[in-house]
Amino acid sequence: MSLYESSVRKPVMTSIIFIAVVILGLFSYNKLPIDLLPKIETNTIMVMTTYDGASASDVETNVTRPLESSLNTVSNLKNIKSTSKENRSIITMEFDYGLDLNVVTNDIRNKLDLVKSYMPSGAGNPIIFKLSTDMIPVIMLSATANQSLPALYKILDTKVSNPLARINGVGSVSISGAPQREIQVYVDPIKLEAYHMTVEALAQYIRMENLNTPAGSMDVGSDTYALRVEGQFKDPSEMNKIVVGNYNGKTVFLSDVAVISDKHEERMQESFTNGVQGASIIVQKQSGANTVQIARDVKKMLPEIQKSLPTDVKLTIINDTSDNIIRTIDSLAETVIYALLFVMIVVLFFLGRWRATVIIILTIPISLIAAFIYLALTGGTLNIISLSSLSLAIGLVVDDAIVVLENITTHIERGSRPKTAAVNGTNEVGLSIIASTLTIIAVFLPLTMVPGMAGVMFSQLGWMVTIIITVSMICALTLTPMLASQLLRLDPKRSKGFNTVYGPIERLLDKLDEKYAQLVNWAVRHKWIVIISASLFFITSIIPLAVGWVGTENFPAQDSGFVSAVVELPVGTRMEITKDVCQKLYTDWKKKYPEIDIINFSVGQASSKNIFGSLFSKNSSNVGTFTLRLVNLKMRTRSAFAITDSIRNDIKVIPEIRKSTVTAGGGMSMMGGQSTLDVEIYGYDFAQTDKVAAEISKRVSKIHGLANTTVSREEYTPEYQVDFDREKLALNGLNIATASNYLNNRINGITASLYREDGEEYSIVVGYAPKYRQSIEDVENIMIYNNQGQAIRVKDLGTVVERYTPPTIERKNRQRIITVSSTVSGTTLDKAVNDIKAELKKVDIPSDITTTIAGSFKDQQESFGDLGALLMIIILLVFVVMASQFESVTYPFIIMFSIPFGISGVVLALWLTGSTFNVMTFVGVIMLVGIVVKNGIVMVDYINLNRERGNGIIRAVVTGGKSRLRPVLMTSLTAILGMLPLAMSHGQGAEMWKPMAVTVIGGLTVSTMLTLIVVPTIYTLFAASGVKRQHKKQKRQAIEKAMSIENK
Amino acid sequence: MKSIFISFDQAYYDQVQAILSINHVRGFSGWESVIGRGSVTGEPHFGTHAWPALNTAIITIVTDEKVKPILEELRELNATSERMGIRAFVWNIEDGM
Repeated sequence: MSLYESSVRKPVMTSIIFIAVVILGLFSYNKLPIDLLPKIETNTIMVMTTYDGASASDVETNVTRPLESSLNTVSNLKNIKSTSKENRSIITMEFDYGLDLNVVTNDIRNKLDLVKSYMPSGAGNPIIFKLSTDMIPVIMLSATANQSLPALYKILDTKVSNPLARINGVGSVSISGAPQREIQVYVDPIKLEAYHMTVEALAQYIRMENLNTPAGSMDVGSDTYALRVEGQFKDPSEMNKIVVGNYNGKTVFLSDVAVISDKHEERMQESFTNGVQGASIIVQKQSGANTVQIARDVKKMLPEIQKSLPTDVKLTIINDTSDNIIRTIDSLAETVIYALLFVMIVVLFFLGRWRATVIIILTIPISLIAAFIYLALTGGTLNIISLSSLSLAIGLVVDDAIVVLENITTHIERGSRPKTAAVNGTNEVGLSIIASTLTIIAVFLPLTMVPGMAGVMFSQLGWMVTIIITVSMICALTLTPMLASQLLRLDPKRSKGFNTVYGPIERLLDKLDEKYAQLVNWAVRHKWIVIISASLFFITSIIPLAVGWVGTENFPAQDSGFVSAVVELPVGTRMEITKDVCQKLYTDWKKKYPEIDIINFSVGQASSKNIFGSLFSKNSSNVGTFTLRLVNLKMRTRSAFAITDSIRNDIKVIPEIRKSTVTAGGGMSMMGGQSTLDVEIYGYDFAQTDKVAAEISKRVSKIHGLANTTVSREEYTPEYQVDFDREKLALNGLNIATASNYLNNRINGITASLYREDGEEYSIVVGYAPKYRQSIEDVENIMIYNNQGQAIRVKDLGTVVERYTPPTIERKNRQRIITVSSTVSGTTLDKAVNDIKAELKKVDIPSDITTTIAGSFKDQQESFGDLGALLMIIILLVFVVMASQFESVTYPFIIMFSIPFGISGVVLALWLTGSTFNVMTFVGVIMLVGIVVKNGIVMVDYINLNRERGNGIIRAVVTGGKSRLRPVLMTSLTAILGMLPLAMSHGQGAEMWKPMAVTVIGGLTVSTMLTLIVVPTIYTLFAASGVKRQHKKQKRQAIEKAMSIENK
Repeated sequence: MKSIFISFDQAYYDQVQAILSINHVRGFSGWESVIGRGSVTGEPHFGTHAWPALNTAIITIVTDEKVKPILEELRELNATSERMGIRAFVWNIEDGM
């Protein structure tokens, strides 16, 4: 007994099994977490090595180069980049996606051990730093304050950071931008000089006065008492009364030579949210924790926390990663519902029977829900990829059921009993259903094996669709015939109302069948006209792609509602000035762009404790970093890209700003930002490469559609250097170490001791008051005391000069490099690349300097290469599946003719909608191969059946075509309409899947229409010549036979 | 004693069995899958891709008076649809054990 026979005979067992699957699936669905993308392991590992006191070029030669040559042998390495700056070397290694980074890390550690002994003795241990997506902040809060500003850090630390850190799954909560309290002892050098005192001595006195000392224990009567001196300052003002010496018999107090200031540290990053100074709080998750859940918990806790804060401290959410995720997933879920609705309408339209529609629609939830079981078992999440696979699959899962049910209905209409009709009807089409499902699987399963970034993205898609399609096939072979045998009636009674609505539709469909039969009849009798005009159509449709009307890009840029901007003033600009410029930008933008919800900017140097900040973001007194959050997509008319372009123009007119980068999307996710194009200039000589870079940058910035052109190499930084004269130093009994120590203690300050309050410690820093360290003269007048107690001024020991320090040295793949990078905005990637290539030709480049174009262009080439290879394999696999089903190579070849028309449709659709050809489109094309071939299989299979039943070729083609018209139209329409919501959606993240849906819709529409005519025509052509050949062969054999008889 | 050979589409097995049991016929022999084709119009039952349907054949030995009602009812069943194609043939049985 076959599968469908037993399921028809055992309706209870069949239904119970499917109900169990649904229950299991719903149970799994309940447990699925939500995320934006499938889990992606990052592909970058950094190695950081310190080499104190070394200049950039020393670091390059002694640390970076030996490390690079050793690390270069790590397997699967894609790129090795390095930056060597003063005191520090950072090597960044990029690997292929999808590798187990733990193994790679071990490999790196081994290589580092090997090279360690060759490193200079002053170099520190190389530290391996693994970047991970978990480091992307889940939620970023800003806290603004007025009166509470000085104490903000402590308030936030105890009242915000601690409770948040207790939330399940939160990895760390860090506060930045809040000034940390520090007690400064501002010394007046003139008074100090008058009293013959030094900063070091003051620090020593403070240290000695700020002590708690145990003095042992003593017995008093029957008890033992501990004896202690509690000398620590209870209040910073106590320090005023410290005696720091005697002068002319009078006591000198600290307050006589210095001012105690209980404020906050001097050099720090200041952060402003909507113009009010405050701090930002960054919540990061534990590895593997769920972003959406954490964000939800944090948001739930915020009102409570807000209540506990002083009234002037306000918490606002600047960036909530989960917002984007939830909105994206919601809008995707919406498309899934719409797709379901459209498919239902199509099925009802063609079948005109409620019961039949219900039977077919039932396969959708069952197969989709079954996919949730897979997700739950593999630890997957509901993300863009898994949900769009559902949306894609909706149109495909009903195909098998439609073919089965359609055939069963025909059997019933011809007079069979429902049960017979169910078994026989399924049997007739069973093989072609399995074959067409296999072709779809042949398309999607290889997607799980793509390497690189595209592979990480699409392997889940491949698995999901494969599983959904398989389940739907099983459904079509068991559940559908079972339900059909139970529910379908030979002559269902139709109500009058239904007849008035459906009557015209039925007549229309019948007429369509007739017209189509006539058309095919004409086509098979005018084969060459059809074939030649179809080829002409194909050639003309490819023109837009060949001429370049359809541009290309890597991943489509996504409007995530964020704009980030970095503005740089001339190197060495004071933070106050940078702050003023940023404030001005803030007020301008706030007025000009009502779409902006929150503007957050920070200026100044991040403190050395903030590793994340100092490693990953540019920060310096001359740099301002902006994050703009726009209002919800539905509430604004301008896109983030338009606003970004406009902001770029705003920045251009401000003369103070030397360099700026404005990008839409903000670097929160790995994709979806705007494409970048880098011109990499390799060459050793600084001056030469600088010149070339400047020239290229000048030319590139003039190209239309490229913005944010920046040169990666930093400018030479101005600084003051003190050149001590060794002879003079020696004469005064001093050395460089002592002298430079004196300078440091006065300008930077010396941490004398720690002030303790409420369990917290704050530094007490002694140094010159700010007004005594503002000019070269101030430095020159610093007094240095030698061992004999003699005071000598700096200007008597050397000279203070202004110099420029050489910039950071960047290398890529072991060669020095400068990158001229730019953002593509307003043009397509391929056009921009061509323009840059044309400009590069005009630049006079010395022979030892080489240039290449990288950035998104290189990524695009890589992914297109991978996907192109995949497309070839898939076409081959589809061919193999069909060839084995038809036991012939001719029929698959005939069916393959629908693929070029699919391509025509894709090109036309992209051209008409003004879309680009990108990775998502490419995936669309790949899927298209499977879907368009399906139509061909259904037709050719039925035509073959008719021929086996003894019909002539033309009759078989015309009647076969006619009877398959409705299923073909139905399956194509469900696939097209199922994807329509994806193509039309304007929700968050729609940019991502839109091109894919447009591709499939365009390709499928054109290819279905043409396949319906061209495939029968070509079939007749091949079949006719096949029959002729057979006839000839028979004739020849007959003649040979006759001749051999004659010969005898 | 007569033998009745009944050949019909597999799908009507239950109905044919019902007719037999109504007429108090218990014993029979059968072939579940039988291929066949009608002499004039009957659709081929070959169990192939082109003609997937198959027949079932039953032979039962009954007393003479049961033959008429059984054939009557089979004819009735066959008349419900043009495509039923039930055929029954009767032989004499000479001996048995």
